[in-house]
Amino acid sequence: MAILEVKNLKKSFASTEVIHDISFSMEEGETISIIGSSGSGKTTLLRCLNFLETPDAGVIAVRDEVLFDGSVSGAMQEEAIRRRRLHFGLVFQSFNLFPQYTALENVTLAPKLLCRENKNLEPEKILARAKELLSEMGLSERMENYPHELSGGQQQRVAIARALALNPDILCFDEPTSALDPELTGEVLRVIKELAENNTTMIIVTHEMSFAHDVSDKVIFMDKGVIAEEGTPEEVIDHPNNERTIRFLSNYKNGNQ
Amino acid sequence: MFANVTLTLLGGFLQTLKLFVLTLAFALPLGLIISFGSMSKVQAIKVPVRFVIWVIRGTPLMLQLLVMYYGPGIILGLNVWGSGDGGRFVAALVAFVINYSCYFSEIYRGGIQSIPVGQYEAGEVLGMTRSQIFFKVILLQVIKRIVPPISNEVITLVKDTSLARVIAVYEIIWEGQSFIKSAGIIWPLFYTGVFYLLFSGLLTVLFGQIEKRLSYFR
Repeated sequence: MAILEVKNLKKSFASTEVIHDISFSMEEGETISIIGSSGSGKTTLLRCLNFLETPDAGVIAVRDEVLFDGSVSGAMQEEAIRRRRLHFGLVFQSFNLFPQYTALENVTLAPKLLCRENKNLEPEKILARAKELLSEMGLSERMENYPHELSGGQQQRVAIARALALNPDILCFDEPTSALDPELTGEVLRVIKELAENNTTMIIVTHEMSFAHDVSDKVIFMDKGVIAEEGTPEEVIDHPNNERTIRFLSNYKNGNQ
Repeated sequence: MFANVTLTLLGGFLQTLKLFVLTLAFALPLGLIISFGSMSKVQAIKVPVRFVIWVIRGTPLMLQLLVMYYGPGIILGLNVWGSGDGGRFVAALVAFVINYSCYFSEIYRGGIQSIPVGQYEAGEVLGMTRSQIFFKVILLQVIKRIVPPISNEVITLVKDTSLARVIAVYEIIWEGQSFIKSAGIIWPLFYTGVFYLLFSGLLTVLFGQIEKRLSYFR
């Protein structure tokens, strides 16, 4: 059974169609990387999955539970959206940590607020779990620090721990290293790689091709709002068939020389 | 003479202080409500609210005091303020509250709109409700950002209270000036300045403390 099934998803902003008919599915424990040039709709796709944008059409289902169906008319209630969101976690390009809370408080805030309605979050265990997650992120010495006292790489690792604390079915990353200095990307990518090795189900929008190649079970190349090519990293990155993928990857290589 | 002047000025200062405290007590919360109105997505709310803010910020407070006090009686034939000192004080207070809540609302609006949208989105993807996001994530960041401009307005208010004299609210400068006529001396006016300086100095220290308290995050 697929953990995520996306069918015929569409999204336009004003008259610009950003996502034009996207369908894909993924299995539990899989890591999918989405690559493509800017403006291809990668970020919008992630934002649709996290209900930060409402798609115009299509279906999103997690474990056969339909979370969104564009053919059902009427806007969803805020409360319904909020609960459906919890199937997904999202790590932002710009971290978006809460500045007035310590690293540890950033991780515990949402679980503490949600534990009344969610039985999987036991109040006594929230703190211990948060500490455990931060330690796994290599931040056991930084738990009491405020975001502005942390480097970008450390902040992003706190953000990953914060997203994991709610045990999402699928963890999404929106260009997690694009806002980082080059020397800090490694520590974040390493952490994500460890998550992949532990079979965390993840969708990663990234520009780091060699990372995508290493970490993914499947790579999706998006172009102009459609999936132009998808397959294993070897297929899509090493031996692309689609002309647009070939052009994108050669531009990427030239840019990195 | 000095004791006599001090006592008289203290009486006037008490009136000043009363106007100051009550204006803040009403205008600070009212400003927040007005700011929500001015940010409303409903045009029928947003447009009139912004119009009122424009009028209030675009005309002198002195004019608003006069209109507030004399307007109801002359235009509507209603004695809404009651008679005597009490009535004049209430009229002055209402004019001050309306004026300052409009200024505060713009400060709040600036503060709220300066919070990056990513802060809201981070709360949303963590499954927080709208009110949880506002109270647990946004509010303290807004407060931190608006302390300096609010402190500016509050210190201006200390001095603006002297305008209440145009409708014969006997605040401290009115009392100080009375000695020019009665005793031919000017130093009580300088003395009123000392009251203002001490009070605004105290407020400066207080707001400095608040800023310091909130400096633990950025």
